[in-house]
Amino acid sequence: MFVYEKKLQYPVKIARPNPRLAALIISQYGGPDGELGASLRYLSQRYSMPFDELKGLLTDIGTEELGHLEMIGAIVHQLTRNMKDEQYRDPAFAPYFVDHTAGVYPTAASGFPWSAASMAVKGDPIADLTEDLAAEQKARVTYDNILRLSDDPDVNDVIKFLRAREVVHFQRFGEAIQLLREKLDRKNVYFMNPAMDI
Amino acid sequence: MDATKRPTGRKGRLPARAPLANPYVPFQLEDPPMYEPPKGLIRGTMYQGLDLPFMGMVNKRERNTTPKTQLQTLAFVIQELAMYLDTHRDDARALEMYREYQRRYHQCKMEYADTIGPMDHFSPGEGSYQWLDDPWPWEYCANKEA
Repeated sequence: MFVYEKKLQYPVKIARPNPRLAALIISQYGGPDGELGASLRYLSQRYSMPFDELKGLLTDIGTEELGHLEMIGAIVHQLTRNMKDEQYRDPAFAPYFVDHTAGVYPTAASGFPWSAASMAVKGDPIADLTEDLAAEQKARVTYDNILRLSDDPDVNDVIKFLRAREVVHFQRFGEAIQLLREKLDRKNVYFMNPAMDI
Repeated sequence: MDATKRPTGRKGRLPARAPLANPYVPFQLEDPPMYEPPKGLIRGTMYQGLDLPFMGMVNKRERNTTPKTQLQTLAFVIQELAMYLDTHRDDARALEMYREYQRRYHQCKMEYADTIGPMDHFSPGEGSYQWLDDPWPWEYCANKEA
């Protein structure tokens, strides 16, 4: 089960509201490489994982991603607090505002709502862990792009933290593939699907 | 020089004569160099070898020490070690550090519950139902001292 802890993983304190920037950051809440998809991907893939290390790692990283979802929600919330007329009228934010006001809704910056089609659960550990390597890289690039676009030091402080986590997760998923490989047929790791055949 | 004693731990281990058509990430060597916890938290990793920032953009200023940032720091060390142990379960030093920080976190969480409020529904407390007390974690005022 999950238990809520009444704290963020890392502090989010945004001094200056900036809805324009919130309209970009929201992509890591509900965009194709965002934290909602990340947590659901890992927490769903874990059921068909055959070995303890893989079950544990997907549970731990998936849980951390839920904490990141909360941090991104906190950034969007703080960037859209106490908005003045000209701020919600900003053409970069008004399309989000008309549907969600200052609520936090899982959507990509493009306006495309969160979709399970942006993640995969294949039910084969090598395929799923390889997807996870790619997913961490895509999230890392999204954070790189946010760092290019944003000049708010309070936002960037948090984004740098989140980006570093993607690099750590990539490393652990890569190690998980090696641990898996050591348990498979040495001559042909694709001999069968270890989620079904052992 | 022994590869395991590289100052930043940026190099890992690949399998010898590895099978083809497989994705490989070098395995992080055991007992890798680590930051002090407050620095690890702001850098987003405890491991110097995994700290690979974008265009030299790094957080330099350490967070203020508040009861909450203390808890966040201890929890971060445990979380980072847990993920390391998920793929390095036989690293005795990492396990020892994980246990040590679990003890510290538990102690700190109990003090937090006594003086500020419950961190979760399982923290014993007395008096009124403090769970609902503001601020909630996503609010600016919950973080402004950090």
